[in-house]
Amino acid sequence: MMNEPQNEFQGTERELLAMTKELDDLHNDVGMPAMWAGVANVVENFKGETMAKAASRRNFLVGMGGVLAGGAALLTIGANPVLAGAATRFGATPGGHERADAFPPSGLTGDLAVAAVAASLENLAVFTYNAGLAAATAGKLGKVPPAVATFATTALSQHKQHAEAWNAVLAENHKAKVTVTNPSLTPVVKSDFAKVTDIPGLANLALVLETIAAETYQAETSKLMSSAAIGLSASIQPVEMQHIAVLYYVLGEYPGVQSASGSPLAFSPITKAV
Amino acid sequence: MMNVDPGALNELLEESQDLQADAMRPTHAAIEELVELNHSSRDDDRTDNERFYDEHRAGVASSVGGAALLSAAGGLALVGVLASSAAAMSTQDVQILQTAASIENLAVSTYKTALTLPYIGGASANGVIRKFAQVTMSQHAQHAEAFNAAVRQLGGTAQTKPDPAFVPVVDKAVKSLSGVSAAAGTLGVVGLALELENIAAETYVKDTVLASAAVNKALFASIMGVEAQHVAVLLAVQALLKADAPTLISLAPGTAAKLPSVAGSVGFPNAFYKTNSAAPATQGAVK
Repeated sequence: MMNEPQNEFQGTERELLAMTKELDDLHNDVGMPAMWAGVANVVENFKGETMAKAASRRNFLVGMGGVLAGGAALLTIGANPVLAGAATRFGATPGGHERADAFPPSGLTGDLAVAAVAASLENLAVFTYNAGLAAATAGKLGKVPPAVATFATTALSQHKQHAEAWNAVLAENHKAKVTVTNPSLTPVVKSDFAKVTDIPGLANLALVLETIAAETYQAETSKLMSSAAIGLSASIQPVEMQHIAVLYYVLGEYPGVQSASGSPLAFSPITKAV
Repeated sequence: MMNVDPGALNELLEESQDLQADAMRPTHAAIEELVELNHSSRDDDRTDNERFYDEHRAGVASSVGGAALLSAAGGLALVGVLASSAAAMSTQDVQILQTAASIENLAVSTYKTALTLPYIGGASANGVIRKFAQVTMSQHAQHAEAFNAAVRQLGGTAQTKPDPAFVPVVDKAVKSLSGVSAAAGTLGVVGLALELENIAAETYVKDTVLASAAVNKALFASIMGVEAQHVAVLLAVQALLKADAPTLISLAPGTAAKLPSVAGSVGFPNAFYKTNSAAPATQGAVK
């Protein structure tokens, strides 16, 4: 497995595309069932008192049980997120006119608003990794190390699953799925991505996005009301943190959460949470 | 290979601790919230404890594999540290915090012992592995302190013992490592650490839901991802060791370009962190 020649990625555009397609197939064949199994695992472990407690604490409960039941229908939804921009419309004013800046959508509050923000962050990560892979395929980032290509395709697949999980929560509560990237962060990411010319540059951009996502989940874990939502958030945060560790390693830095000066931290901060 | 300057590392750790003190200030400021919580009792989940013990006795045995080592001196020291065990107290938050502290205590003693081994903490050790073990041990000590601080705020007794269900398992693993080669020993220690780190991460993911107080949820949330990162690093290190590519366990420029493809994803095998290896809530509670 690991005894192959350890040289830089020499793949062609076709090979990279094939790798991405393979990941997409894996996502559908293995990833989605695994996702629901993972979410089911979270729910299974939190059944009983905590779910009942959550139900009594809030008018709406993020009905993860129903989400699981509806999971099969979601398997067919795999479109890439739409990039948020001036033409994006969310929510509605009292007069019925849509507003471009209403995010999360005005009909969402509490845990469901968090779900929408989380989905938008995941969509932004999906967009960025997709764009990065496309740039790599086009030869715009120089030679791509094979481990980096694998990282990007795997992280992309996992972020898709995260977005789908949050959108499943929204759908189960009869709310529209969030298919756009986070409106607040999108312009900055677009601008930063335009400046990326190599793999370290892309890794640094990914590091920022992963950090924002991880810290947002961490911050929300103690604010969410329903146990199922807490469990879902808590099951995703460590995975984003693992992405961060690998990105640091790729960049030749200590592979763990750290201060701006590079000192390892025992407690993850939430200063970059949105 | 990364060269570690002990002086620089100490500065790094001190700076880290200062930063942590700052980072934890909001948690401590809010910790009074804990005393206002409902202190409901909870039955001991003996069945869960027994299941946990059975599953992880096998898990650690397989992670250590047939390789047997940890030096006799180091191994005996760890056995001594692990000899006494913990038990249960009253409130749910106190119990899960004590259990968390017991896991951290176990991790600290394990890394402490591992660092006495020449191929983990000595001059012949891989620089990244050595630094990782040093930093990680320090982080687990800080986690234990934080959990016990939260316990004290609730009027509970700080847990200073290691997780009782895991003590005999680690004890057995340590003994089985005696007398093996440096390569096999390193792999065995990495496997043992991996098992402990994953239990910690999974336990805290679950605890974010089980904890009653928001401040405790926040504490678990601030630590679970750090443990998950330890898991990611250990998975990657384990893969590279098994592939007989220890020189790629390095932070030197250009290393990423040499890594095999699988190294890019081996550290995060699941899109959602599991909790089926989580320790039962009362397992490490003070009785």
